[in-house]
Amino acid sequence: MKILLKKYGQILTSRPAGHEAALAMKTTVKPANDEAIELDFEGVLSVGPSWLDEVLSSLRTEYGTDRVICLPTRNPSVIESLRVIDTQPPHSK
Amino acid sequence: MKTGTRAKILEIINKRSGVRPSELIQTLELTPQAVHRHLRTLLEEGRLERRGAGPKVLYFVAGKPQLERVQAWFGAKSKPAENPPELICETRDAFAGRLPRLTSTGLGKDEQSLAIAAVGEIGNNSFDHNLGHWKDTPGCWYQTQTTGGRLWICVADRGQGILKSLARVDPGITDDHTALVTAFEKILSGRAPERRGNGLKYVRNIITGKDRRGLACRSGNGLVDYGKLGVECREELARFPESAGTVTLILWSLK
Repeated sequence: MKILLKKYGQILTSRPAGHEAALAMKTTVKPANDEAIELDFEGVLSVGPSWLDEVLSSLRTEYGTDRVICLPTRNPSVIESLRVIDTQPPHSK
Repeated sequence: MKTGTRAKILEIINKRSGVRPSELIQTLELTPQAVHRHLRTLLEEGRLERRGAGPKVLYFVAGKPQLERVQAWFGAKSKPAENPPELICETRDAFAGRLPRLTSTGLGKDEQSLAIAAVGEIGNNSFDHNLGHWKDTPGCWYQTQTTGGRLWICVADRGQGILKSLARVDPGITDDHTALVTAFEKILSGRAPERRGNGLKYVRNIITGKDRRGLACRSGNGLVDYGKLGVECREELARFPESAGTVTLILWSLK
């Protein structure tokens, strides 16, 4: 299932805002077993790594790393955010 | 001779924060007509900018930021006398609410995307690391200025500084410069055990991603710069008095 991130704002920065967004997503996102969760950045102007890390961490903890997918985007702030997040060591449980 | 006079005018204006024609007439002992002729030429060449009108008109060097107010605020020994509500974001929400202003500064769409994310990380760091630790004034100073085809962005706080924040999780960090380099180049969270610490690396990647960008950051007596235009930001911040807080200056060419 697809999550349209523009519904959470055009500018997505800060960990507290990412934390709030992740909590809101988890109350409304009800994927079927093994269904992938796709994050769609269409219509979003800017995404910071803090916001995205908070959302990805929360969703991956809930649904598993492999099921949470960032859809391809040309938004440079997203591309740069993912570059930084992916170089970090994985979350400790 | 005329070129020499114009160079002198530029030098005087560069040293002060905005100069009136009457000050130039007095300092250079020239006629008002001569001063206005030189000012007109410098304006036409794009080397000066005129702000205000009538007797309040002031001339500035194009492309240079006006940082006197934030410098005074940042360096004040005790609670600053001036806390302009249009420039101080007392809360994280107030700061976030002002980020969209970067969409009307002349940046292209992709650059808006990167600039907003980078400035967002810097401003949010002020709140992440200083909540409950502000020296005397909560929040951050957030100011943008466009001049001579260049965008200057300044974020400053009167918080505890980067050294104090990082030394808590890595006692091996004992000086301001090492703390700044660690903050921008290594993944270490001042809020460990929370898994953070990637924000300023992201900012550095964006700034060094293109030649037309630069950044300098000062905290305590530490000062670092990144990007091709970083040295210009560094020159500006080197004039700031030493303070426990943190100030970051970004320069983004609009040309």
